[in-house]
Amino acid sequence: MSRVKLSRGDAVVWLLAAILLVGLYMVFWQADGHGAEAVVLVNGKRWARLDLFQNQDLDVPGPLGHSYIQVRDGQVRFVDSPCPNKLCVHTGWLNQGGEVAICLPNKVSLQILASDPRFDTINF
Amino acid sequence: MSRTIQTARDDYLIAGFAALAITIHIAESALPSPLPGIKPGLANVVTLVVLCRYGWQMAAWVSLLRVLVGSVLIGTFLLPTFFLSAAGALASIVVLGLLFAVSRALPGWAVGPSGYGVAAALAHMSGQFWVAYTVFIPHSGLLTLYPLLMTLAAVLGIVSGLLTRTVLTRLNNAPPGGNPV
Repeated sequence: MSRVKLSRGDAVVWLLAAILLVGLYMVFWQADGHGAEAVVLVNGKRWARLDLFQNQDLDVPGPLGHSYIQVRDGQVRFVDSPCPNKLCVHTGWLNQGGEVAICLPNKVSLQILASDPRFDTINF
Repeated sequence: MSRTIQTARDDYLIAGFAALAITIHIAESALPSPLPGIKPGLANVVTLVVLCRYGWQMAAWVSLLRVLVGSVLIGTFLLPTFFLSAAGALASIVVLGLLFAVSRALPGWAVGPSGYGVAAALAHMSGQFWVAYTVFIPHSGLLTLYPLLMTLAAVLGIVSGLLTRTVLTRLNNAPPGGNPV
């Protein structure tokens, strides 16, 4: 194929298209914003409701032992849990509406509440 | 060129190009698609070639005839696919019309196949997405796909623009009175 030559008009169209695409990503892929509250479920039942801007450390009893949850400045995470894989701990800090961290072995889950959650359900 | 062609000749050309576009459209519909709404859009190359050679009016005819007759032949006429495809074709024809008018008005800034290809693909995707979102799946989760689909559309638009250029070059170099196959 011959060398790509763009006329001035083509260049303008491509530029506009690029701007449009960037704008679309900015509008439709923005995060839902920070959640303000989270819930802790143990064994499927609500164990606590957390205000994310009130720093605290929780000690959540589950079937295997104690899971430790930490709330700091609008974020929340599992610090430790008596499970083999530590998936909940490796999930890290949560701050976006709808984000979840789950410790399946200890049946403890943590979810940030959101008016418009980013995900309806998540299957593992 | 397009000035001197009589109406009857235009009709033959429209029919011929539409037949070509319909053939490609049907062949393309048999290809598996990785994502719903994504097609290479090769049939659109025909529309772009007609646009560049004969102007917007004929391109609009070819494009709309393709969607209509193509869907009847595939058997999707008045099914969701048809409305998606018709909305896409209408949107892209409108955008191509605007660009064509701008190119006429400001020859220094005339748009060529590369620009038409990208604009047509983005417009097609938008029209089709708009119908999908408002009519068929009004769920906000769908909007997450929109930027991604538009990116793919832009890439495919560039490809169809380049193809259009190649076809136009060959057509311009072809001996008058047809090209022996």
